[in-house]
Amino acid sequence: MKIAVSRDDDLAVARATTPVRRRRLSLTTQRMLEGYFFVSPWIVGFLVFLAWPLFQSFFLSFHELQATSLTDLKWKGIDNYKEAFFIDARFVPKLLATLKNNLLDVPVIMIFSLFSAILANQKIKGVIGFRAVFFLPLVIGSAQVIKQLFAQGVGGATLSQGIDVQELVYQYIGPDAAAGVSDLLNRLLFVLWKTGVQMLIFLAGLNSVSPVLYEAARVDGATDWDRFWKVTLPLLSPVILVNLVYTIVDSFTDTFNEVLEYIQQTAFAGGFRLGYAASLGWVYFAVVFVILFVVVRITNQYVFYAGDRNG
Amino acid sequence: MASIAASSTSFLVERPKWWRDGQVVRRRSITFLQRAFTYIVLIDIAFVFLVPIFYIMATSLKTSQDLTDPTIVWIPSGFFWINYPLAFFSMAYVKSLSNSLYISLGSALGQTVSCAFVGYGFARVRFPGRDALFALVLFTFLVPPQTIIVPLFILYKNLGWINTYQPFVVPSFFGHGLKGALFVVVFRQFFKTLPWELEEAARIDGASAFATWWRIMVPLAMPAVVVVFLFSVVWHWNDFFEPFIYLNRMEYFTLPMRLSVLSPSLDTATGGQASDLFNEALVMAAVFLVILPPLSIYLFTQRFFVESIDRTGLVE
Repeated sequence: MKIAVSRDDDLAVARATTPVRRRRLSLTTQRMLEGYFFVSPWIVGFLVFLAWPLFQSFFLSFHELQATSLTDLKWKGIDNYKEAFFIDARFVPKLLATLKNNLLDVPVIMIFSLFSAILANQKIKGVIGFRAVFFLPLVIGSAQVIKQLFAQGVGGATLSQGIDVQELVYQYIGPDAAAGVSDLLNRLLFVLWKTGVQMLIFLAGLNSVSPVLYEAARVDGATDWDRFWKVTLPLLSPVILVNLVYTIVDSFTDTFNEVLEYIQQTAFAGGFRLGYAASLGWVYFAVVFVILFVVVRITNQYVFYAGDRNG
Repeated sequence: MASIAASSTSFLVERPKWWRDGQVVRRRSITFLQRAFTYIVLIDIAFVFLVPIFYIMATSLKTSQDLTDPTIVWIPSGFFWINYPLAFFSMAYVKSLSNSLYISLGSALGQTVSCAFVGYGFARVRFPGRDALFALVLFTFLVPPQTIIVPLFILYKNLGWINTYQPFVVPSFFGHGLKGALFVVVFRQFFKTLPWELEEAARIDGASAFATWWRIMVPLAMPAVVVVFLFSVVWHWNDFFEPFIYLNRMEYFTLPMRLSVLSPSLDTATGGQASDLFNEALVMAAVFLVILPPLSIYLFTQRFFVESIDRTGLVE
C-alpha cells in the first residue's frame, strides 16, 4: 500500500513537470518526431511490401513450396541454387543471354539518349515539337505493344534497310559478333524506344551547365568539338552516372527479359514451383547488384563533381 | 585577281554588294548548314519514334489482300475501318479501359500524395537516420520486382486481394508500388529547391507540420505533383508484369493485357471464325486502340513531360 501511494505521488510530480519539460525539448525533439511522422508511411510500406517479402523470398529459396498447397513447406538447403546452376539447362543460358543483351543495349541507350538530348537542346525553331516526339515512347511504349510490333517484324528491318551491317560485321569481325549485332539490330528500334527518361535527365543536365563556361571556352578558341569533350562531358558526368544506374536497373527489370519471363513461368505459368522461383529471383538480384556495384565503382572514378556537392 | 585584291583594301564603295558582305555571308552559310544538318538528324531521330505509329495506323486499315500485297506498305488501297469495331468488341474495350483507368488513376493518386509526403520529410526535416533511410529508398529501386513477387503473391492471396486492384493501389499509398522510390526522390529534390521563408512563416504563425506541408508546400510543389502524377499514370498504364500475376480473370484485365489474349477472345467473339478474320491488320487496330488513350492525354500534356525535369530540378 505504501509503495502504491508513493508511486501515485511520483506520477503526480511527473504530471506536474512534464509539460514544462516537453516544451523545453520541443525544438529538437519535436522536429525529429515530425521527420519520422513524414517518412512513417514509407517505412511501414517498406517493411510490409519490401523488407518482409525480400526476407521471405530468401527464406523460401531454401525450401520447396508448390503453389497448389501453400502450407506444405519442405526444407531443401541450397538444392534450389544447385539446381539453378548445375541441373537446370535453361536458366544459365537465359541469364547469359540477358547479360549479353544488356551489355549491348546499355551503351546504345546511353549514347543515343545523350546524342538526342544534345540535339533537342539546340536553340532552333521547332525543337520543342521534336522533343515532344522524342518522348512518345515513354507514353505508348507498353511492353505488350512492343511485343506485338516485334512479332510483326517492325524492329530492325525498317531501320537498317540498305546497309547490310550484318554482312560487314560478319566479314570483318566474325560470326559471334555478327550474331550479336544482328540481334541488336532486330531489337534496335525497341532499344531506342527505351531512351525517354534518360533523354529527359540529360536535357536537364545540359540545361544546368552554365553558359559562362561555354563563353569562356569560345573566347579561348575552343571548337564545338573541344567544348563537348572538355566542358559538356565533364560537367555532365554526374548525370551520366545517374543515367547509367537508371538504365541498368531499367533494362534488367524490363519485361522483355528472358530471365524474368522464366522466373514468372517457374512460379506461376505452368511451373508453380514457388521455392525455386524465389531462388532464381535471388540469383538474378545478386547478379544485378554486383553489376551495378562494379559499374558505379568504376564510373565514379571518372565523375567530375563541380563545386560543393553537400547541399 | 589583282584587281579584286586591290579593291578589298579600299574601304570605299565601288565593290559589289556580295563582296562587301562576304565575311558575314560565309559565316551565315556555315550556321545555315549546321542548322540544316541538325534538322536532318532531328527528323531522323523523330522518324525512329514515329515509324511504328505510322505503321500501326497504316496496317490497321488494310484489307487481307493489302496485307499480302508487297507493293502496299504504307498506304492501304482503301480505308478498311471494319478492323476497329472488331478489335473494340473482342477486347471488351469499355470494360478493359475502365479497369486500366482504375489501376492507373488510383495508383497515381496514391503515389503522388504519399511520395510528396515522404519526399517532404526527407527534404526538409532533419532527424537521426535520415540519410540511412534515404539510402534504403534508393535500394528499393534496385530490387527487381521478380525477386519479391512470390512472397507478395502469397501475401495478397492470404489477404484475398487476388483479382482485385488492391495490390496496385494499396502499396502506392505508402510510397511504394511501381517506381515509387523514383517519385520519392523527385519530390525530395523538388522540395530542396524551395525557399525556407514561407515554411518558417507558417510555423511561426502556428501551423502544424502537416498543415504546413499541405497548405503551403504542396501548392508550391504543383509542377512536381503534375509530373509525378502523369508519369505514374503512364507507367501503370503500360505495366504488364504485375497485373498479369495478380489478375487472372479476363473481366479484370487491363487494356495492354487484352492485347496478349486477343486471338482466343476473338475466337469466342466471332464463333470460331477468327482464323479468317484474325490478321495483322486487326492486331494493329487493337494496338492503336490500346495506345490511343495515353496518346491523346499526351497531346494535351506533352509540355509537362518535356519540361518535367527542368521544373522539378531533379538535376541540381
